Parts: sequence; structure tokens; C-alpha cells
Amino acid sequence: MTTVNRAIPAVTPAPPSDDTWLADLTDDGPAGQQALLRLRELLVRASRHQVWRLRDLLPGAGAGDLEDMAQQAANDALVAVLRQLGTFEGRSRFTTWAYKFGVLHAGVAVRREAWRHREVPLPDTLALVADRSPAPEAHSEAAQLARAVQAAIAGELTPHQRRVVLALLVEDVPIDVLADRLGSTRNALYKTLHDARRRLRAALIDGGYIDARPNRSTP
Amino acid sequence: MTDSARGLSPTTISSLLVDTSPYLSCDDCFAQIDEYVERKIADPHYEDPAMKAHLAGCGACAEEAETLRELLSQDAG
Repeated sequence: MTTVNRAIPAVTPAPPSDDTWLADLTDDGPAGQQALLRLRELLVRASRHQVWRLRDLLPGAGAGDLEDMAQQAANDALVAVLRQLGTFEGRSRFTTWAYKFGVLHAGVAVRREAWRHREVPLPDTLALVADRSPAPEAHSEAAQLARAVQAAIAGELTPHQRRVVLALLVEDVPIDVLADRLGSTRNALYKTLHDARRRLRAALIDGGYIDARPNRSTP
Repeated sequence: MTDSARGLSPTTISSLLVDTSPYLSCDDCFAQIDEYVERKIADPHYEDPAMKAHLAGCGACAEEAETLRELLSQDAG
């Protein structure tokens, strides 16, 4: 007589609803412990994805280093999610809402690590190398625009705006890294950048270099 | 005083002159980014002018929005 092992089809449990997530995460018993584990898994997935997306910023890092960074970012994100659980309003799925904390913490961690041993440039002025060139292209429309932008940076911005604009947009310093260096916040630096862009755009529009329609900055 | 001796590439000029109005802070962008990305996936024509302007002017937030979109797309796939 032959015994036949019949495979029992695996049943994938339905993902928890948002209400279940919230109820379980505020439960002091086993359901709460299970929910914390599920939440951490979800945050590891998000932070790992972001760390690997940005891995080119860390050319010396191996797979183990990247995994350590993802795990640490997930831990930081878990603390942030639990602290802000009461602010979840259900405007997205809970899992999407939680993902964004993992993505944020991982991105900040990678950018900070990438600049940990680098000097953060804080130039006060912009010197255009092209200005010294007598070549015909120096007189082109693009070169005229570049000179006009340079003049606006020098003449229209406050010293603080100029320093922030040059560091962020010309030297490509990440906004979190610059915030750390200046003892500021991402929010405050973005506001400075926004105000500076308004001044630059106004000057370039007044000079006839760009039109007033949005995002038509280059010819 | 220090100089930045880098040239102004067309990409840099675009980033300097991008119109980021209406203003939205990074904190407000973070508060809305989950809902925004879900809506964009559900309807590619959906747009929120303030979010669109912010993401055009803030590389870090735009990067995070793209990562979130990838994660949700993978979950759906």
C-alpha cells in the first residue's frame, strides 16, 4: 500500500487592516509583540530598499555595511513610527505611512555617512571659469544666461542665501548634511532655498533672460 | 571668503531657477508624501501643485518619493 503525501495548499494570511495595525500596536499582550515584529520587518524592507538605491554614494561599503545601516535605520524609524502613531489619519494605507519613515531614516543615514569624512564646502562666491574664455560659445545664449545667473547670485541674494544656494545646488552638498554642518534643519534650509530661488527668478525675468511661466528656466 | 569654482551647467541653472511656488515645507511634504504617492500610482494624472513644486525643488524629498513609489509598485507586483 502506498501512502500518498498530499500537499496542503499554503494559505497566505490576509494582510492586517489599518485598524488591526493600530489596535495591535497599542496592545500590551502577544498581539502587540507580534505587531511590533511585523512593523520592524516592514521598516527593514523600506530602509534596505533605500540604502541599496543610494549605495553608489558609499563606494567603499560592502553588503554587510549596507545591511547594518539598513537595520539601524529601521530601528530609528521604528521609534519614530511608534512616537507618531497618534498622528496617523488614514489618508494612506498604514503600511505606506510606515514605509516613509524607513525611507527617510535610511536616506539621511546614507547621506550623512557619505559625507562623514568629507569637508563640507561653504563657498561665499561663485567664480565662473567660462567667463575668462574668449571663445565664441562664451557669447552664446546659454553663456549669457550663466553670466546673468552668476550676477544675480552675487547681487540679489543675502550672504546666507548665497552660501546655502552654492552649497546645495552648485557643490551638491545634501540638505541633511548641510543642516548638520550649519546647526540648522532641512525645513529651514529649504525655506532659504525657496526664497533665494524667488529672488533669482525675479532678477532673471526682469532682465528678460527667462519668462515668467513656471519651470521654463532654460532656453 | 571662499569661491566655488564650479561651472554652471544647464542642469545646475535649471535647479537654481526652478519655480517652487506654491511653497511647501519639507515637513509638510513628509506629512503628505504617502498619500501623494498612493494617489499618483492610482491615477498618474493626479497632481497636487504644492507637492509637485516641492518635489521639483527638493532633491532629498523627490528621492524619497521615488523610493516609496518603487516599494508600493513592488508590493502591488
